[in-house]
Amino acid sequence: MYDFIRGPMVWVAFLVFILGTVYQVYRFYRWSRPQERYRVRIPFGKPPKDPEEKPEEPELTWSQKMRLNVVGVNPVMVSVTTIFHLALVLTPFFVLGHNVLLDLAWHASLPSLPEAFTDGLTVVVIAGGVFFLLRRMLYKRVRAISTAYDYIVLFIATAPFITGFMAYHHLGDYDTVILLHLLAGEIMLMAVPFTKLVHMPYFFINRFVLVHENTLGAGGSRVWR
Amino acid sequence: MSPNDQAPINQDEVREILDQHKDKMKTALRVCAHCTLCADSCFLFHVHDKDPRYMPSHKFINSIGKLYKKRGKIDRAGFKEMEEIVWRRCVLCTRCYCPLGIDIPEMIAIARSICRSQDVYFQWSELEQPAD
Repeated sequence: MYDFIRGPMVWVAFLVFILGTVYQVYRFYRWSRPQERYRVRIPFGKPPKDPEEKPEEPELTWSQKMRLNVVGVNPVMVSVTTIFHLALVLTPFFVLGHNVLLDLAWHASLPSLPEAFTDGLTVVVIAGGVFFLLRRMLYKRVRAISTAYDYIVLFIATAPFITGFMAYHHLGDYDTVILLHLLAGEIMLMAVPFTKLVHMPYFFINRFVLVHENTLGAGGSRVWR
Repeated sequence: MSPNDQAPINQDEVREILDQHKDKMKTALRVCAHCTLCADSCFLFHVHDKDPRYMPSHKFINSIGKLYKKRGKIDRAGFKEMEEIVWRRCVLCTRCYCPLGIDIPEMIAIARSICRSQDVYFQWSELEQPAD
């Protein structure tokens, strides 16, 4: 059992994660098309407008700008969610234990952060998870659209960190905990393309590739078919 | 009252419109993390004392989301409920903001066209007149 979860199952999990994500991105590209550039015929006699010229924006004070921005409206949620997501995605790459395993297997690894620091980041992820859990349970507006599925997804995303923390601090039976940690990580990876966690690739698609009012970066390049 | 108020729902017609927009809807429903960050961008949410039913996410999950999940199998009473959501709880001002980039107004617009295809739509004459 241990050998299977440590061996072939890891490959299966990574394959499902990578191929599944590629499939989701492929599906988006099949469902969308490049934005057409319309040719506007300039009426005779009117001087052509400089396309670079932008309409004058009203001057806003700093506090007015914050009121129009999600950061100003929900500062706590935005800060927690940003830190939570960054820590969740980045921590696993720089954990010493993971890199030792990589080195043993491939004689190559990523640089590792001090163990105390990654331990702190793990606590940050768990704390973020607790924040989201309490928010979902206690905040009227979140409860109104929450289903069991939301709680399950939150658990899938944080379980690898809870078990990782327990394994590092030798809480509980180590062999069982490390097995659960492996399993939790594999389940999370496989869940990304096929559950609500698909917002991981879709955040970038929706906010950087799709053309709409709130597109970030270069303003997007594709629209739905 | 709409002209065909008692006529049965033509589910094939509903499914046809659903299928036309399947890709967008499927993605929107799956990507929505139920974070409720969209709530504060809706002026109706604020006007109605922060009633969660006025959250943009609540509106699209309970209109187009319900239609999609039930593959259009919703009776006329269900459609009446949807009319309340997509016309009276939303004015399609398109000011809602989703941090994950979901086009919520488009979802509501699709729900409106499905309702219209079944002769369910908002009528001013049905509005209660304020007492003098």
